[in-house]
Amino acid sequence: MSDDYSDDDYYYDEDEDMMDAEDDDGSAPSDDDMDMEVFDNDFKIPGKAVKKSYEVDAEPLSQAQVERLMQADVDHISGIFGVEASVASLLLRHMNWNKERLIEKYMDNATAVNVDAGVALAEDEAPKAATNSRVASSPKFSSTGPTRSTRSFKSSKVKSPSPKREELFVCPICFDDTQTQTMSLSCTHKFCASCWNAYVTGKIREEGEHSIRCMAEGCALVAPDPFIHEALGNDTATWTRFQGLLVRHFVSCNRNLKFCPYPNCTYTVSCPAAATKSALLSIVPTVVCGASPDHKFCFGCAVESDHRPVICAVAGMWLQKCHDDSETANWIKSNTKECSKCQSTIEKNGGCNHMTCKKCKHEFCWVCMGPWTEHGTAWYSCNRYDEKASQDARDAQSKSRASLERYLHYYNRWANHEQSAKLSMDLYKKTEQKMEEMQITSELTWIEVQFMKKAVDEVFKCRMTLKWTYAMAYYLERGNPKELFEDNQRDLEKAVEDLSELLEQSIEPAEIASLRQKVTDKTVYVQKRNEIMLEDTANGFLEGRWEWNSTVDGLD
Amino acid sequence: MDARLRRVNKEIADCKNDRSSKIQLELVDDSPFHLNGSFPGPEGTPYEGGHFEVDIRIPESYPFQPLKMKFITKVYHPNVSSASGAICLDILKDAWSPVLTLKSTLISLQSLLCSPEPNDPQDAEVAKHYMTSRSSFESTARYWTHIYAGGPDPNAKDGGKGKDGQRDEVAIAGLEKAHVNQFEALGFERGKVIDVLRRLNYRGVNVTKITEDRVVEELLKP
Repeated sequence: MSDDYSDDDYYYDEDEDMMDAEDDDGSAPSDDDMDMEVFDNDFKIPGKAVKKSYEVDAEPLSQAQVERLMQADVDHISGIFGVEASVASLLLRHMNWNKERLIEKYMDNATAVNVDAGVALAEDEAPKAATNSRVASSPKFSSTGPTRSTRSFKSSKVKSPSPKREELFVCPICFDDTQTQTMSLSCTHKFCASCWNAYVTGKIREEGEHSIRCMAEGCALVAPDPFIHEALGNDTATWTRFQGLLVRHFVSCNRNLKFCPYPNCTYTVSCPAAATKSALLSIVPTVVCGASPDHKFCFGCAVESDHRPVICAVAGMWLQKCHDDSETANWIKSNTKECSKCQSTIEKNGGCNHMTCKKCKHEFCWVCMGPWTEHGTAWYSCNRYDEKASQDARDAQSKSRASLERYLHYYNRWANHEQSAKLSMDLYKKTEQKMEEMQITSELTWIEVQFMKKAVDEVFKCRMTLKWTYAMAYYLERGNPKELFEDNQRDLEKAVEDLSELLEQSIEPAEIASLRQKVTDKTVYVQKRNEIMLEDTANGFLEGRWEWNSTVDGLD
Repeated sequence: MDARLRRVNKEIADCKNDRSSKIQLELVDDSPFHLNGSFPGPEGTPYEGGHFEVDIRIPESYPFQPLKMKFITKVYHPNVSSASGAICLDILKDAWSPVLTLKSTLISLQSLLCSPEPNDPQDAEVAKHYMTSRSSFESTARYWTHIYAGGPDPNAKDGGKGKDGQRDEVAIAGLEKAHVNQFEALGFERGKVIDVLRRLNYRGVNVTKITEDRVVEELLKP
């Protein structure tokens, strides 16, 4: 990659190399200037830098760029079939932009495709005026654009069934006989221009519909774009909305594309690497749209915008588990027993083992769950019930208790990091105060105290990583890979907690210089640990190194 | 003049002039956008002889959006909610076309009464009844027509309108008196028995499929 760079870019590359070198020997740099540069690199949008294994190739596209992609498909089809662009567009939309299938079907039976797509009328429904071949007539129709006639001007393309009636044209929708302009599709169902306008506007604005059929009852003809444009007249806002709807439809049909989920964002991201379900099992496609670096989202799922390092399927499983009340059930299982007669759930909160079910009045022994009558007067004579059945029951109970404990171990840490990450927003404010304080008490400039803010940023990022490593660890099968994973996790966690602690310290004016040094060093170290964590996990996915203790969707 | 108002006025006038269809429209609260439409039950159906009223609201963007219609008269029909009168008909939803009118929509409703679509039901219980036992369904629909739509009394020999005013809850639910009496004799409240048997679709061949224990179990549920 660096070969392609010009001399101007050389220094930039060198920085990257240096960073990599630091990764190798693990020593923290001491030069302040260089620290700043490392930071700067970090703040660049990924993709320009050397690609890391946890990053994916993704390209943000503006709406205009997507429109160009659509246009290319339309031109392609229109060239092959020899039809107008507007017709090609309707055909493609009908086939959900699947060019191959369209070509195949069209070659097989063009008439049927034309009818299904609403480009031409079925033979038996065709108006008498157009009796020539349907396939030939459809391009002919669109080359003339929408059929528009006025009272004085009799359209030559579309013959009205009885020319006399045209003199007294009353729109069948608004019953207005003063309308002078009428429009119709090739089905010759004529309506006045203002009704068409109201209809098309309503469909686009209120229903968000991009496939607009003829207004006549049961008529399946779809209005092509030039017709819609004409019907809308000067209403450019609605026309723009229509274009937007088309783009959305195109994007939703294309597996390589995803619309940016942030409100009012019109950007699309292209990420062919994450287009298939199987690809999502080895990569975590966290992408950023072109509008803003904050518009970060996962290309593969809607679970969370950035759940690196863990893949979508596992992240989804984990959240599902957290949301499920299955853990409540687990708690009930490990802390309660069921009455052997009426199956009511009972929690023993004291007293002797002679239990009487409140509901069914069944008397039983809490230890062996057998009926109390067999115990006689001695309350603890139930060792004889210690047969296999009750042994199994106890095993199951202790197993479920252990599984609950295990889950809570991971969940508490997961939730803790999430909580801490949220709290770092407060830390931000505090840090800003501290930065101002520092400016006053020392001779540092605003730029020079930025290290605090960067440290907070880094802590936030790492906490998100840490959070998801716990979700991953919960599902990892015991073994060497998991041990290494947990070692990395421990190192990152320790580094993050150290840095967090430093940031919370109060500032002594005399120690600002050394604090700055410490924070900067720690930040670089934390950043590196985070990279290692992400990179190693991503590599593990690519190598198929991870083994799971439960079935992950899509994995064997 | 507002295009919507002009169109609605013309539609109302058209309906008034057309006596052959027997469809009537009346304004509610003097607003041309809230109407009360009515039509006779189609001949040769259990709804024959009844007079069915429909509440019609004309939306702001009419005729580009469908009319909002629901039955005021209670109708026993798979595609009409027996509780709310809501109607399941494609042209009132996505198959609407601006060319359709008040009159044509009411005629469509009339023909919906002739040809129920039990596979796309609005009222699942009624639809189940229709699928299980057509004759039992029809007699219930006829009884509802008599009680709610002023149709002829199905039990009266002369076919005249019943004036006894006594509503037979068992017949309204489309059940057999013997079945209701059987469970009422076990000490359950009559209303509850009717409710449970209706919900279980205790009719026709289904009676043999549902055990008495199952019914009692349902009746015991609070």
